[in-house]
Amino acid sequence: MFRVAAQLFRYRGLLATLTSRELKARYRGSVLGFLWSLANPLLLLAVYTFVFSVVFKARSQGADPYALFLVSGLFPWIWTSASTLEGAMSLVASSGLIRKAVFPAELIPMVSVFSNLVHFLFALPIVFTALVAGRILGYNVGGVSAVALPAIVLIHLPLVAGLALGFSALTVHFKDVRDLLGNLLTLMFFLTPILFPLDSIRHLRYVWWAVRLNPFTPYILSYQEALFWGRFPEPSLWLQMATVSLVAWSLGAGLFERLRETLVEAA
Amino acid sequence: MSDETPAVPVISVEGVTKLYRRTMPGDRLRTLKSALVGRNLTRGLRPDEAIAALEGVDFTVGRGEAFGIIGGNGSGKSTMLKLVAGMLKPTTGRIVVAGRVAALIELGAGFHPEISGRENVFINGAVLGLTRKEIESRYADIVEFSGLGDFMEEPVKNYSSGMYVRLGFAVAVHTDPDVLLVDEVLAVGDEAFAHRCLRRIEEFLASGRTLLLVSHSLDLVEGVCDRVMWLENGHQRLVGEPRRVIDAYRQEVAEKEGEEHKAALQQRQEDPASEDPELRWGSREAEITSIRMFAGVVGGEERYHVESGEPVVFEIRARAAKALNDFVFGVAVATPRGTEVWGTNTDLEGYVAGVFDGEATVRLTCPALRLGPGDYVVDVAVHSKEGAPYDYQRRALEFTVTARAGGIGMYLPEHDWEFTGGLKWAGRKTLDP
Repeated sequence: MFRVAAQLFRYRGLLATLTSRELKARYRGSVLGFLWSLANPLLLLAVYTFVFSVVFKARSQGADPYALFLVSGLFPWIWTSASTLEGAMSLVASSGLIRKAVFPAELIPMVSVFSNLVHFLFALPIVFTALVAGRILGYNVGGVSAVALPAIVLIHLPLVAGLALGFSALTVHFKDVRDLLGNLLTLMFFLTPILFPLDSIRHLRYVWWAVRLNPFTPYILSYQEALFWGRFPEPSLWLQMATVSLVAWSLGAGLFERLRETLVEAA
Repeated sequence: MSDETPAVPVISVEGVTKLYRRTMPGDRLRTLKSALVGRNLTRGLRPDEAIAALEGVDFTVGRGEAFGIIGGNGSGKSTMLKLVAGMLKPTTGRIVVAGRVAALIELGAGFHPEISGRENVFINGAVLGLTRKEIESRYADIVEFSGLGDFMEEPVKNYSSGMYVRLGFAVAVHTDPDVLLVDEVLAVGDEAFAHRCLRRIEEFLASGRTLLLVSHSLDLVEGVCDRVMWLENGHQRLVGEPRRVIDAYRQEVAEKEGEEHKAALQQRQEDPASEDPELRWGSREAEITSIRMFAGVVGGEERYHVESGEPVVFEIRARAAKALNDFVFGVAVATPRGTEVWGTNTDLEGYVAGVFDGEATVRLTCPALRLGPGDYVVDVAVHSKEGAPYDYQRRALEFTVTARAGGIGMYLPEHDWEFTGGLKWAGRKTLDP
């Protein structure tokens, strides 16, 4: 895992170039181009708001306005799950690159992580605009605690990177990972308090525990604290995030390191 | 250049064996397990579960040296290159490479098809270890060398194969690697670009850098390399002076071709039903029952590959069902594309027919068949003096000629050079080791 980190640092320039070309390639040939980075989160927000406020009439449990509560946890989750899924498939998809040329393979899943991070960051202005609008409308949302956001993203990054690296190497040997992973992430999504505030399920004892023990939960809670509730995340949340991130990075990068020499042959 | 190992090796390969795991259905979990536990896909496999791409290969390459690897398809050449490049790890043995390596292993490898040539130059350069600034300062040279000035903004998926090679080679040589690995790709470029590459390689070698070249173009290898290794089914057959190794390789290829010619001939004679009417016709009043070729004197070895200048005997066995008093035996040698090289018959050489009854053997002996290197086909016939065929066999046999001495064309006559006047040679290389 140290070697992976060293390689990433050594090739940071290349990583930046590859990430920017990945972003450019994504919108090449589309009319709206980069505007999709803004339009996508907006549309997503509209869909979720419609489904959960109008169709299901979800009780907001004091989390008002619901749409704002939703986005403060949803966008970080999308970064996590999209990076993990794309990252998992990335080595297989780029097998030409690592089979036929000398190429630092760890860059490939990391490009998925960083390009999705950029999408996440692009969605933030929308979140901030919505928070400001919410305050103007008289809701007590957001606040200076938003300055904690860079620190949360930074501590979140090793988790996402660890997942992408580990699953990318695993998928090379074991293509079933792709299908398993998609369903696992959907389960994780519902076991994370994104659609509902954690307190609202206190009466469902086992579910509450499952959600509370979900390793993704402290991250989502922290984003919600800093963005929606306008509070700095408590030290215990930071501690949980630091622990999960350290474990995820060690396992993910360690697994990648362990499988590295077999990747060229098996990809 | 010699067969000795260089004093300070830049590439040192010691006892390298590379096994590949055979792909077996339902084996993914075991593959993953051995990858996780052994960091290696082949440890602990039974011999029938692994394929040896290379076995016990040893060589070293020194500074400023050009080392060539030749051998048939699947002999392990590309695997060797990938091992030196560090893309693959040897199953056993050790590989040490001093300095930075640039590898041109496969056509267009390392290029992203969707993005422009320009961006690819930067990505490629960064992979080879250059900073953005360093690439910027060399960018103009790279474009100039590749000759792709007008196409640098195009996505490389629109490039032709020649353009891929131009760009790949241009980037590789302009990144100042200590070791350049080139696999075959040069063959794709046009003549002018190939010459430019060769000049660049010469400069590269002159500045003390090292080249490892894999190619099927034996002339290219001979022209560029100081030493050559011949690989066969993953085994090292011979390492040494290019001419010697390449000749030995050519000789063996010719022998194999000779064996194939022989097998094809036997198959045809044993199974007349498979006969193609396009290749045999005639009234069969007389019939050619077999045709064989011997190298050396009569009774020598039946073989279908010869060294240019060796004695050759064509032996025709024939049978006449009824006694004939009008008959001519003929033999003609041509290239596979049909250019007549030499033909003769008993009538042209003044033999007047008497009687041919029952079994007979006709031998045509050439004390020295001085043909140029290549494949040849032989037509044999027995016909009447007027030319009405009794039995005409087209391409009755094929053979391969190899030539050690230089010279091109279909005919290599015995010859000598003589020089007088204001002309002096610096020396003469030994051609025949």
